[in-house]
Amino acid sequence: MTVAAEAGLMIQQVVPEAASVELADVLGRLKRGPALTPFSDEVMEFCAQFSRAIFKDAAALKFPELQALAFWMRKAELLRLRESFLASQRPEALLAPQGVAFHIPPANVDTIFVYSWLLSVLAGNKNVIRLSPRVSAQTDILCRLFNQTLAASPEAMRYSTVMLRYGHEREITQAISAAADIRVIWGGDRSVRTIREIPLPPHARELTFPDRYSFAVIRAARYLAMENRQSLAEQFYNDTFWFDQMACSSPHLVFWEGSLQDVRAASASFVVSVRDHAERKQYEVQPATRMNRFTFSCQEAIDGRASTYEDLGVLTVLGVDRFGQLSRDHCGGGLIFQYRLRELGELAPFIARRDQTMSYFGFEREELTAFAHRLNGRGIDRIVPVGQALNFNRFWDGNDMLLQFMRYVYIG
Amino acid sequence: MTNDEPMTFDDLLARPQFSLSQAEKEAALTPVLNELTAHHRARCPEYARLLDVIYPGGGVARSIAEAPYVPVGLFKTNRLQSVPDEEVFKTMTSSGTTGQQVSQIAIDRETARRQTTALSRIMMHVLGPDRLPMVMIESGTLIKDRLRFNARAAGVLGMANFGRQHFYALLDAAPAQAASHVADDMKLDVEGLRGFLQKFGGKPFLIFGFTFMVWQYLFQQIDGRGFDLSNGILIHSGGWKKLQEISIGNAEFRRRFAESCGLTRIYNFYGMVEQVGSVYLEGEDGYLYPPNFADVIIRDPLTFAEQPAGKPGLIQVVSALPLSYPGHSILTEDLGVIEGIDDSTCGRQGKYFSVIGRVPKAELRGCSDVHATEVSRNIASAERESVPV
Repeated sequence: MTVAAEAGLMIQQVVPEAASVELADVLGRLKRGPALTPFSDEVMEFCAQFSRAIFKDAAALKFPELQALAFWMRKAELLRLRESFLASQRPEALLAPQGVAFHIPPANVDTIFVYSWLLSVLAGNKNVIRLSPRVSAQTDILCRLFNQTLAASPEAMRYSTVMLRYGHEREITQAISAAADIRVIWGGDRSVRTIREIPLPPHARELTFPDRYSFAVIRAARYLAMENRQSLAEQFYNDTFWFDQMACSSPHLVFWEGSLQDVRAASASFVVSVRDHAERKQYEVQPATRMNRFTFSCQEAIDGRASTYEDLGVLTVLGVDRFGQLSRDHCGGGLIFQYRLRELGELAPFIARRDQTMSYFGFEREELTAFAHRLNGRGIDRIVPVGQALNFNRFWDGNDMLLQFMRYVYIG
Repeated sequence: MTNDEPMTFDDLLARPQFSLSQAEKEAALTPVLNELTAHHRARCPEYARLLDVIYPGGGVARSIAEAPYVPVGLFKTNRLQSVPDEEVFKTMTSSGTTGQQVSQIAIDRETARRQTTALSRIMMHVLGPDRLPMVMIESGTLIKDRLRFNARAAGVLGMANFGRQHFYALLDAAPAQAASHVADDMKLDVEGLRGFLQKFGGKPFLIFGFTFMVWQYLFQQIDGRGFDLSNGILIHSGGWKKLQEISIGNAEFRRRFAESCGLTRIYNFYGMVEQVGSVYLEGEDGYLYPPNFADVIIRDPLTFAEQPAGKPGLIQVVSALPLSYPGHSILTEDLGVIEGIDDSTCGRQGKYFSVIGRVPKAELRGCSDVHATEVSRNIASAERESVPV
């Protein structure tokens, strides 16, 4: 199918400027416009300016995830990324952009689309981003600042990115997909399944981000020996509560490693610290979320997947006694399962392909590396310290995202 | 109460309804609820597992508020029953829209009998002992279609017991689609209603319907057309959600009916398919009153701690009726507030309360679109309608 065949589809453009536009025109302009080279000065400068704009904006200040995004996009970080890009260059193979990248972010994490876009635009791609019609303050702020930054940028940048707001109209996704060299689908199993049915050009590549499961492992004796236990609770709080425990990398289960006595003491102290911190942070629990958590807990009790229940208001803790009871069901919004391991290795049979992030405390790098070797691809894509579960980087869901956005041109 | 013997369930029913002070009700109902908890623990394994985990210690309640409660959503995902299958006399379901999960409540003969008796004791309080000529704000075809015996049809049939010479006042506008009983497809049989009033309008008669249908298909059709309903007693239920959308609250509802057609005896009630027979009937003051064998507790939506009068929260309903399923103490997804205790202006004893509405849906964030929709689907429970059977 050609772009021209889709003439007549009107769509709401948000970036580069808010306008009602014809989809075929937008895609045509994007294809014809000048292309960026990977990590060119102009794209680096644009991203740094965009980061500064977010830092300076009064409205953006209210949203920690926007601050985290701006931090991740700051000049120093961009330079580090360029360094690692240069390290991936090889004498016999040149890294080149894929071409047009089509990003389909989830409807309800407002910053994902910028991370996805950032790696892609640094790689030199032209980008089409589908924005959900569900308007959020965060997305509005980002689009406003993006357009502001764009107004003062060189011409080539203006052809680099289009953001379109539309619902689930298949013909629009179809037309954009037909023009794409790489398509990035966030939003979980159902979104991936639905959008995958829409064809891509034969050469195009696809990155999918299906539903994932994440958990934490904590060595009880090391926790008990900590001078400042509160700090771990704070880190864990950030991992868990920032996106209402609905981010794919937020932990739902804490594996405690150690003796029964240590684990009991550590867990009792830890959950209260987390609760206290959540209350200090005035984490807002919506009544429906709370009710859902209670209903979920009762269901887990009925189904024999929880042996104990502890209600701390902002947080619910379900204890699991037997390995066979462990499941990956969860309801988000502040519910944590706990299970005791005598040693880390006992965990291996539980691990499945769906497991994404294992955040840890009290383990040495060698132990974790040995554990990852032992899993040998069985599952887990990220092993990070507690507190870094949500930190996005180029290695995500088992991909080197940066390299995925490029291709090697071999010169023999 | 001067007698030290605790009241039995039958005593609670036999006494005039709304006649127990809160202290008397605490003394009478707490042991009944404890018995029911033990009864269901012994007969419903799912409920026993829930108690073991959620309420460890299995402590006996020392007050109504201490009785273990289960979230209403569990009846959608589990068939919780305390009788063998062969004793299930009927299964009540809530009338959710297509695709929504509905509650499934197993009723045995004894529970059905208790529900019927209980409801008639409550209704007698405002209707008196005699059956009255009755107008149903429903279409007659709803009842004929036994295949779709849902909460709405069951509710209508249950109320029909309290009347005679029933007149089904609505006509299916599109007969071809009659089987769907889509409420939007009906209109008032104006001439039929005139005929009914000519015959029975001079003496007390009963009108029953779901709140929004009473408004849309009765009030809006007869307003300003000279109908006299001053001998009518209107009993209605089903929630205010649809009327709130057009800014009609209870006070406005009552005022407009009184002004337009002289109808002043209006009794709303609150109830649910998970506790059929246990309805909370409006007093003359416009507040809702628990009958002798039931009560409400308002809980803080975040801590679930009992709220004092005047503080809104989640409504928990307790009832002595359910024997065949563990539904004697249920935490609903409705919000309400206790308006007062033992100080009613209309002569009723105990607590009285108002329903504020449904807990708003959660807006969770997250990477996965799927999870977000699943969670909100779980939370958005099927539309529950009141079922006085």
